[in-house]
Amino acid sequence: MKVSISILIIFFIGSFTLLLDAGKRNKQDFSLPYHPTPLQLKIPAGWPKPPVNIFANNPLTEEGFQLGRKLFYDGRLSKDGNFACASCHQQFAAFATYDHDLSHGFHDQFTTRNAPPLFNLAWATAFHWDGGVNHIEVQALSPMTAPNEMAENVDSVLKKIRRDTSYRRMFKAAFGSNVINSQRMLKALAQFAGSLVSSDSKYDKVKRGEDKFNPTEQRGYELFKLRCNTCHKEPLFTDQSFRNNGLTRNNFLKDDGRMRITGNPGDSLKFKVPSLRNVSVTYPYMHDGRLYSLANVIDHYNNGIQMSATLDSSLRKGIPFTTAEKNDLIYFLHTLKDTSFFNDKRFSQP
Amino acid sequence: MRDSRKKYWVLWVFLLATFFSSFQQKKIENQNSLSAIKLTFANNVNGRKIIFNDSTYTNSFGENFTITKLRYYVTSISLPGGSQNVKEKNSYHLIDESKAESQVIKFLIPEGDYGAIQFLLGVDSLHNVSGAQTDALDPANDMFWTWNTGYVMAKMEGHSSSSKQVNNKFEFHIGGFSGPFSVLQWVLLDFPGETHHFVAGKNYEITINADINNWWQHPHDIKISEHPVITSPGKFAKDISENYAKMFRIEKITSGKD
Repeated sequence: MKVSISILIIFFIGSFTLLLDAGKRNKQDFSLPYHPTPLQLKIPAGWPKPPVNIFANNPLTEEGFQLGRKLFYDGRLSKDGNFACASCHQQFAAFATYDHDLSHGFHDQFTTRNAPPLFNLAWATAFHWDGGVNHIEVQALSPMTAPNEMAENVDSVLKKIRRDTSYRRMFKAAFGSNVINSQRMLKALAQFAGSLVSSDSKYDKVKRGEDKFNPTEQRGYELFKLRCNTCHKEPLFTDQSFRNNGLTRNNFLKDDGRMRITGNPGDSLKFKVPSLRNVSVTYPYMHDGRLYSLANVIDHYNNGIQMSATLDSSLRKGIPFTTAEKNDLIYFLHTLKDTSFFNDKRFSQP
Repeated sequence: MRDSRKKYWVLWVFLLATFFSSFQQKKIENQNSLSAIKLTFANNVNGRKIIFNDSTYTNSFGENFTITKLRYYVTSISLPGGSQNVKEKNSYHLIDESKAESQVIKFLIPEGDYGAIQFLLGVDSLHNVSGAQTDALDPANDMFWTWNTGYVMAKMEGHSSSSKQVNNKFEFHIGGFSGPFSVLQWVLLDFPGETHHFVAGKNYEITINADINNWWQHPHDIKISEHPVITSPGKFAKDISENYAKMFRIEKITSGKD
């Protein structure tokens, strides 16, 4: 009996100590210690450092990445369950929508812009064609809540995923407790999307000395450096700026681009310069997908530029290409395709 | 047998007593140096209680209106202008007319003389560019623009026969945190008298009267008939923010022990 009383006392003292200790710590930590596996965003050799560290307040971990990956492929983030992020961002199209000018959303609706491919987002300074989203963590809110895209609201998504025990387990593994809130969901999605790095195209291999351009590709590269490199700046193949590249305003979509965000008439018809990496699989091109082939795009710069007040100064005279040059350039652009990125199992549906 | 059980109870009571007395002591210590503030936002229209959908009000242009939604951010609360300047920590609050508990903000301040209460009407620019936030700043609160990142700092919706929009709706979603059309407004409300003395261990209720009629006037005339919908950053959003920043006044400060 005496022994059992001593045990009881020890037990009580022990639980007090624990309680007091727990009170000192914050509530989230009141669970077993968690040890996520830290990950490092790899910065390819010769690339600039990302302008800001998008993971500064969102430490990249294997558990966070895997949670983000599951969310990215989960239709429950949309109202009717049909539209996961991945439905418009397909891995085999470098996470753009393959062969669609505009993507499809809830209730057979079109989106209003061409879904951009997703890669090298850690180097992006703003998101969307008009740069309206200023941080990768809040980007996902836009398609999730747009009535013509995923058509959901945040609370409803959270309710759905809270019911799933595998999510409760994964949130706990990623963030230390099984609290499921919008902040954690968005941070996990940002860990996945921000980790999509594409840097292993033939172009990259040539730059690393592991491969060689054939003569046509080499001529195309020389042309590229002379005529395209200002806006589509290597090695990211975008300078992240907003420019009017001489497209007519679509009378149905009435899309004024950057001006919608800044309210500045000087930004009318300006859109973000897209990266040309993986460009051979991201067709159709331009913010509304109006040009179906690389040849169409080069023709546009050659003889399709529309004059307007905000037209980029570098395009006032167009960019002349002979038929042979056009051919060379297209061959070069195909070397920007990163097949290993499309086939990377880490980025595929879990 | 009986003896040992006695010992057990004695120890148990002793432990419990120590445990609770340590708590008790802490509480008294706090009360000794701090005053408890209960800040209440009393929204009204020209003195009339706000009843959603039901009550019809009239603004100074003779336009009638009903209210269906009313929310605004009160952040960065401080008590300046006295012997010290106290800032509330992690000071982000969403006042929502449909949630009574959201209209009451509680915090502790050190005993002393204070001259005024100050707060920011809106969410500071840093928190508009720092990614996903939580609690009062959770985007699920429906005070966040997803297409043009940033918080809606204040929101009012309702109906008015002066609005020619669908179902006579009017809708003000006031936001924009940078540039010439930033709607961030500091509000400074002086306490009656030179300063107000807050005694430690006492509770104070500061009632702030917020007259919604001010959204349409002083200094900018905004008629519902002319501007039934203001839902993006720009001149009119800024004008309204300069109006509603002047809707607050301190109605009373009452105190009581405990």
